Amino acid sequence: MNAGNALFIVGALLCLVGALSTVIARSPIRAAMGLLITIIGIASLFLKLSAQFLAAIQIIVYAGAVVVLFVFVIMLIGADTSAGPPKSGGSVGSRIVAGGGMAVLSGLGLLLLARFDGQPVRFGPAAVGHGDVEAVGGLLFREAIIPFELATALLIVAVIGAIAVARSKARPRPAPPESHESKRLFHGPLHPRDAQRPLSKEPAE
Amino acid sequence: MLETYLPMLFIFVIALTIGAVMFFGGQLIGPKNPTPEKMMPFECGNDSQGTAGVRLNVKFYLTAILFVVFDIEVVFIYPWAALFKSLGWTGFATMLAFIAALLIALAYCWKKGALEWES
Amino acid sequence: MTFDVVYGLSPLLVVALGALLLMLAEAFGKPNPQGLAPTGEVSDAGAGRAGELGMGAAVVLFVGAALSLGVWLAGPDNLVGLELTRPYLIWDRFTVFVCFTLCLGGGLSCLLAGGYLTEHEIDRAEFFPLVLFSTVGAMALAAAGELLTLFVALETMSLGVYALVGLRRTPRSSEAALKYFLLGSFAAALMLFGAALLYGATGRTDLAGIGQAIAAIGQGEGPGAAQVLIALVLVVVGLAFKVSAVPFHMWTPDAYEGAPTPATSYMAVAVKTAAFAVMVRVLLIAFGDERLTSWASGWPPVLATLAVASMTVANLVAGRQSSVKRMLAYSSIAHAGYALVAVVATIRSPAAEGSILFYLLTYTVSTAGAFGALILCGSRGKEAVSYEDLAGIAKRHPAAAMAFSLFLLSLAGVPPTAGFFGKLYVFQAAIDAELYVLTVVGLLNSLVGAYYYLRVIVFMYMREPAPGATLAVPMRSGYVASALVIAAVLVIALGVLPNVTLEWAAIATVGRS
Repeated sequence: MNAGNALFIVGALLCLVGALSTVIARSPIRAAMGLLITIIGIASLFLKLSAQFLAAIQIIVYAGAVVVLFVFVIMLIGADTSAGPPKSGGSVGSRIVAGGGMAVLSGLGLLLLARFDGQPVRFGPAAVGHGDVEAVGGLLFREAIIPFELATALLIVAVIGAIAVARSKARPRPAPPESHESKRLFHGPLHPRDAQRPLSKEPAE
Repeated sequence: MLETYLPMLFIFVIALTIGAVMFFGGQLIGPKNPTPEKMMPFECGNDSQGTAGVRLNVKFYLTAILFVVFDIEVVFIYPWAALFKSLGWTGFATMLAFIAALLIALAYCWKKGALEWES
Repeated sequence: MTFDVVYGLSPLLVVALGALLLMLAEAFGKPNPQGLAPTGEVSDAGAGRAGELGMGAAVVLFVGAALSLGVWLAGPDNLVGLELTRPYLIWDRFTVFVCFTLCLGGGLSCLLAGGYLTEHEIDRAEFFPLVLFSTVGAMALAAAGELLTLFVALETMSLGVYALVGLRRTPRSSEAALKYFLLGSFAAALMLFGAALLYGATGRTDLAGIGQAIAAIGQGEGPGAAQVLIALVLVVVGLAFKVSAVPFHMWTPDAYEGAPTPATSYMAVAVKTAAFAVMVRVLLIAFGDERLTSWASGWPPVLATLAVASMTVANLVAGRQSSVKRMLAYSSIAHAGYALVAVVATIRSPAAEGSILFYLLTYTVSTAGAFGALILCGSRGKEAVSYEDLAGIAKRHPAAAMAFSLFLLSLAGVPPTAGFFGKLYVFQAAIDAELYVLTVVGLLNSLVGAYYYLRVIVFMYMREPAPGATLAVPMRSGYVASALVIAAVLVIALGVLPNVTLEWAAIATVGRS
């Protein structure tokens, strides 16, 4: 067993443990931490596949930003860590259906694999520097310019959508300027001759 | 190839060890003398109330998601910067369009007050 | 050459640039106090300007539609250099036809929103940039010839629509947005998983390359055959979710009902159209191998099952709804079923692809019109939602009832409306492809479907409102009215003179790659 295989085994185990604890954990914060472990596992798998740049990005964006976002949202909903999810009494039937369906699907998947005697597709070994920054950049900026520019639209939609959905409540509208009627009603002229004067020049009392 | 990352592995292991030693070492070798006062959750001044999960303002979420979006922008700029010279003017124009569009998005956030804490 | 490329891509570019400009206009313009009711609250610059911004967005989209028409006439093949965008964007007549439909549907929805948001004082001018960017995503999705572009475009389209559903922050709307978002992300993840498996099995990301690699894999023996099959299942599930085919339709009624009505109209027309376009392309190019298109070992039986389930379930459930908006949601599921029949027919009938394009166009104008008429029937404080709200409206407001009836008849497929010919050509293609069972099921379903469309008309013309009930008063809005006029003219024009358009749709599929 060489270093690469060891890395794969460690990474895969991290992924599985993290994913399982994400699903099983009762407290949402623990689930988020499980996700963090999965993400670190995936990053090490990327390393094994000699996709160094992706591994770095995985740590920076997912572990650094996305998990933080998850924790924010959990706090936003008001994570009550003491109480688990509400007991759903009537859902036994749907649980059986979902679990049974999942089992059938997994069985079918395994059957497919067994029937086809699936020889895994073998790719040649990756070229030197296949996953470093220059290679990814070259692919992105020499070949895939169109999807890259399209990603702009995706990011902008995310910005507008977030603002549209999460923007703070509407501010009260500034009161309309006081009308002359009411002014006259409360600070009206006491003497008929005052009625001739423009209101704005009323002496301040 | 993977040998390049050996130092990283060392750092990772050392960091884990330090964390584990601090976490478990105190538990193992520290003297324990619990009194009721010591067992109370510490909160300055008052007795603590409620649970640890407080409802945060939705503004945190908006800030966080805007951070993610502009973080991803940086992710794209990073490989571009590494290749800046060899990409030439085409690459420059590509990135210019990208940044210009996101600049508009930034102006939009700004004007919409998404960057202000008090509204 | 540069001009040719820019001209060829102009529908996409115009909508994208228009979206950026509209975004700035929304954020930096001055609020318009006239557009607000005395009690209204002002929160930002977009307030009270839903009308103008809606007009702007609609103009951008209609210009996009006109340019699509122009590019179709010029023929993308004749434009030098346009093939440089391949394999990321396949800009052929098929794409351009779909772009036309998308721009038309988006433009009509924006006009509707211009009236609706103003009338109901929904201070959410973000609607328009979202629709425009979503349309950019939808157009790129229709053109996508490569998995990376496909996914980015799909997400661009979907994210915009998720936000549109949640715009109105009532509990119901938020719930709808949450459901749609969760299930939609799940479906997108499944599709991404499928794409990863495809790449693993073939080592390619462009659809044409994947198709060749799959053909080379051979008779289910070679390495990668199992991955391809699982990928096919996952991709079909993801796409079936986007077109809301039974049993992946669970989100549809809630999302359609909870969204503001113009957003519902946009979801129903644009998302579905783009998803069908990409479905045709993926299934016929990437999974176009002889073995995978055969009735015995490929996708046709799966899609046929989805089609039968969608038509039958949706039509049966739609008849039992008390909300017209919800009924229209189920109707859109049923229509996805009819279009799926045509997708299945593509394996044997060369006319089937044209019939899909034509069907999507007729569906777009009829559905946008129907939602528009529903918007027209309500006004501030009382939106028309249920059958009861529409009772007797023909006596009070004959024009609104007339318009609504026209679109419902088109949806039901009554001649001489657009919907009739849409269905006719789909079933013709199905008979061509010797799919007799599917055709019969489709015809029977059209009959069942007529029941609930006609029920609305019965309520409008023959019932009296319950005494004491709050009456829904039709709104007065030039925007909604003009959208309805455009849709009505198209419904009648496509119904009276379907040949030219159908011919164009058929030509559009000839050079599809």
